[in-house]
This record gives sequence, C-alpha cells and structure tokens, in this order.
Amino acid sequence: MRVVILGVGALGSTTAVLCRALDATLAFIDFDKVESKNLLAQAFVKQSLGKNKAEALKAQLLNFYGVKAEAFGVRLTTENVAALVKDAGLVVDCFDNAESRRVISAHARAQQIPLVHAAISGDGSFGLVRWDERFTPDAEDHAGQATCEGGEHLPMIGLLSATLARTIQDFVTKQERRDSMVGLKAVTVTG
Amino acid sequence: MAILNITYNGLSADYPIELDGQVADVDLKRIAQELVRSGDVPGLHLPNLPVEAFDGFVIDRLQGGTRLYLRPKVPFGA
Repeated sequence: MRVVILGVGALGSTTAVLCRALDATLAFIDFDKVESKNLLAQAFVKQSLGKNKAEALKAQLLNFYGVKAEAFGVRLTTENVAALVKDAGLVVDCFDNAESRRVISAHARAQQIPLVHAAISGDGSFGLVRWDERFTPDAEDHAGQATCEGGEHLPMIGLLSATLARTIQDFVTKQERRDSMVGLKAVTVTG
Repeated sequence: MAILNITYNGLSADYPIELDGQVADVDLKRIAQELVRSGDVPGLHLPNLPVEAFDGFVIDRLQGGTRLYLRPKVPFGA
C-alpha cells in the first residue's frame, strides 16, 4: 500500500519515523525547508538543515534505517492534488492550516480515498486523530500562528504521533479505522 | 441522554447530560463551565475556572448528537 503523508513537520515527520517498519511505501509531501528551529520539535537532524523537508525525511529514512520512501517538495493545491495522491491506499493529513486540510478532504471524499487527520492545539495540551468522515478542520486564530518552535510540546507531539502511527498501522494491516483523543493524562479511543 | 466530554488544560472527562432539543454552542459552553466549577464532572473540578475558559473552543457533535465533545481548537500538524 502507498501511504502519503501530507506535511512532514512536527507530527508528520515523527509519525513517518514510527511508520518505518510498516509494510507500505511511504510518500512525503511538503514544500517547506528544514530550519534550525525545527530541530527541537521535528524529526530532522542537523545535516538536513536547508533541505526540503520531504526530501530530507526521505534521505534520513534511507541513511539511518535503510527504508526507501518517496518525496515531493511541493505545496498541495487543487491543481496537483490528484497527481500527488494518485494510487494512495491511505492519505495522512498532518498539515498546519485549515485551507490545505480542506483541499485534501474535498479530493479524498470525491475519489473515496481513505484519509485520516492529525491535529494538535496551539498550547500542546490536546490532540486528535480523526478519520475524514468525522473531521472538520479548525482554523488558526490568525494566519501563520506559531506553534512549538522551541520544542516545548515535543512530548505531546510524540504521544500524538505514536497514536497516529498506530492508527495507520491498524488501517494498513486490518483496515480498521479508529479515532482517538490525546490529552495529558490519556489516549482515548472515541470511535 | 447525551454524553458531554469536556477537555480543558489537557484533561478530559465525560458527563451524562439530558438536553432538551438542539442546544446552541454558547449554551453548551455555559453549561460545561458551571459543571466544571461545581465539581460535577469527575476528575475535572476547577472552582475558579475563568469565565472565558471555553472561548475559542469547538464542539463536535458526533453519533447523531449523542456524543458531544467540547475541546480546544486543533489547527496544527506540520
């Protein structure tokens, strides 16, 4: 199965590393570059500074673990979404903005592509893993709102990414679709 | 009968609630605030919960409105 991860910042990159043993082909889509501030909250290493995030993650998985992946260093739009998620058995949304989430939701619903979303609150106290049929994107309070640039939310990012990775694994191996809420005290399956 | 789940400051708890028809988000937030302040929600007793505590929060209405989730916004991923 081809698993396409959209956005490989904090949640996406950490989840990808936790999916490295999966019997699936991982593909990463992200237009952004690795900056030094990302090293504290994302799965990138110093040698990846300045590289495109999708390409950097692909290189890290190959160099550290011998895992081959695909990378597309572009921004997802209504024009290229069909080509980028073509043949995907599962799409994983880890975007950081509502507009991109809406683009992939519309396409996945039209094409009946399985889509799971992961999202975290700005204060790092709460996160969701939710399948598209029950998901509505939340808007930022303002465009470009910053989150976790100093790594203070890294434990929650790890917990939420592990929950997402397990959700991906359950879908790839058993076609199960489970939603979860992740708080500071518990991971709760909600559907 | 519905189950209202309230998440605040990283803690979540369920509260069974009898609602008379469709209740607006603003009213649900007010009800939740009173419940949390009064200590009626197990594990989530905050007598000094600020009035604006649930401003900007979202309410998900799932399973035909029998499961209600009052939670912080989750705009971020990457």
